[in-house]
Amino acid sequence: MMILERNTLLIMAVLAALFPLLVGNQYALHIGIMVLFYAVLATSLNLIVGYVGEFSLGHTAFLGLGAYAAALLSLRMGLPIWATIPLAGVISALFGAAIGAITLRLRGPYFVIITLAFAEVLRIIANNWMGLTNGPMGLSGVVQPALLADASPLAAKRFYFYLALAIAVVALYLAYRFVYSNNGRAAVTVRENRYVAQSVGIQPFAYAMRAFVLGAFLAGLAGGFYAHYITFVGANVFGFAFMVSMIIMVLIGGKGTLVGPLVGALLITVLNEYLREFQELRMSLFGLIVIGVVLFLPNGLMGFLNLRRERRRATPAAAAESHAEAPGGSA
Amino acid sequence: MDMLLQFVANGLVSGSFYALSALGLTLIFGLMRVVNFAHGEFYMLGGVLGWFVTTYLGLNFFVGLVVVVVAMAAFGWLVDRFLIERVRDQGEEPSILLTIGLSIFLTNSALLVVGTAPLNIAGAVPNAPVFLGPVVLTQMRLFAVAACAVLILAAYLLIRHTRLGRAMRATFQDPMAARLAGIKTAYVYASTFALGTVLAASSGMLLGSIYSVQVSGGGLISLKAFVVVILGGMGSFAGAIVGGLILGLAEALWGGYVSSGTVDVIGFLIVILTLIFKPYGLFSTQVERA
Repeated sequence: MMILERNTLLIMAVLAALFPLLVGNQYALHIGIMVLFYAVLATSLNLIVGYVGEFSLGHTAFLGLGAYAAALLSLRMGLPIWATIPLAGVISALFGAAIGAITLRLRGPYFVIITLAFAEVLRIIANNWMGLTNGPMGLSGVVQPALLADASPLAAKRFYFYLALAIAVVALYLAYRFVYSNNGRAAVTVRENRYVAQSVGIQPFAYAMRAFVLGAFLAGLAGGFYAHYITFVGANVFGFAFMVSMIIMVLIGGKGTLVGPLVGALLITVLNEYLREFQELRMSLFGLIVIGVVLFLPNGLMGFLNLRRERRRATPAAAAESHAEAPGGSA
Repeated sequence: MDMLLQFVANGLVSGSFYALSALGLTLIFGLMRVVNFAHGEFYMLGGVLGWFVTTYLGLNFFVGLVVVVVAMAAFGWLVDRFLIERVRDQGEEPSILLTIGLSIFLTNSALLVVGTAPLNIAGAVPNAPVFLGPVVLTQMRLFAVAACAVLILAAYLLIRHTRLGRAMRATFQDPMAARLAGIKTAYVYASTFALGTVLAASSGMLLGSIYSVQVSGGGLISLKAFVVVILGGMGSFAGAIVGGLILGLAEALWGGYVSSGTVDVIGFLIVILTLIFKPYGLFSTQVERA
């Protein structure tokens, strides 16, 4: 499982790195950039949903904090892009530690509601604190890196594609190292059975906290990238629309796997673009997709594939076993 | 001082709607343990349906309300039997996702059908002002508050003094024992869900006759209902009512004295503080740590 996942991720990274060289179309590159952006977001949410086993509906808090942090650092303090994006991640992670310290004491529906409450509070603050965030008008004109000053639009898109790819690689590397470390195994134990985990000396809170802060850091990086790429940050970065996209991606791909959210990000971003002309119809359709996935594909596409793989492997073994038992049964 | 009284009156009016809609959620979330994110959409559907039967079909307000109640009861029943039933006893997460999917579907389908313009429901009584000392209210508001109170009382009597209500209480105390005693728990769950849906929808229609119906406003309504249920205590009847009134009052005072742009923040602050300091809520019926 570990090696299969690692190899799949490496192949995906190579394919993604070749993509801008083969494609000279700005629109296709933009979609590629959005796929990578959502891949980072979905991966970060997956750390909480898939590995802590608690359902956060307030993950946009960290996306938004990262986006506002990068925009403010760039506009007010004139920091360059290579400083703003990592700082956006760090600021998000600090807020993650503070918010996690409060929210991770709760579980189940209470955790869902309190994370959502934090995201909403931040959204309302962003919408009303005119002095800092410019309120509903948002922060526009986030500074572009100097080396793009006289680059062609296509070259600029390529630059952002590779930047997004770099962030996605960092995100998946960290997620991979986390998931397959003692931390990750402890987190999975907590997810599967909290009481067994506690009885063997794992402190659920400490491990959940690490996953939560890492998730916040990655979402902050994605937010910082978003601020520079879109060049505008408004309170909608805290909104429920981003949250819904993230959830659908993690869910369709399969939570608790590293490849799943990437598959989900690719599928949903492309589907989203494909249905762009039918705004409300598209969202209705998404609603139905979510209902369908919960009812018929509860572990997502990756869960479904894994199940099939295990069954195929199990079938010959089971056949051999029943064959061996048959003489004993007749005797 | 006069301003204060006016704010208090306004807060109590909106609080009674919060109470009615939260009462529906306390049945679904507090007793059935379904984290229903489509609650605000049921509220919105009640308003849209109310607009449809009164303005479009031209029915009388009271006949319209009865039609809405019957239609939404059937809708809630079907949602439970066809969707919630399949994820019962699987923990919270599937039901959260399922109802989020349902809420996205309902909001956007409603937007496709009726558009984004606010819909006005013709009220049952004229919108003339009523002067109670220094406080000004409209007849429609007083009527709507009275209607809320009647519906709350009806729900209370249904749960306390009917066969169905006894079956509900038995099922939520111990589903296995209830089944052994011959209660068809599947019907009890569906009825409870339908009752919760009806309470949300009638609250939506009543409030729609005072202000107007916003198709896309369901999300915030859901959240406020959760705030009230958590503040009042899961599954608590009195908690939903007191919690609703507290939220209404707090919002009116905050809007009046602090800033009207950040009114919605107060509910979220309440829920965060409640969960930190009093996670059982004010009137919890179950001794349980959040």
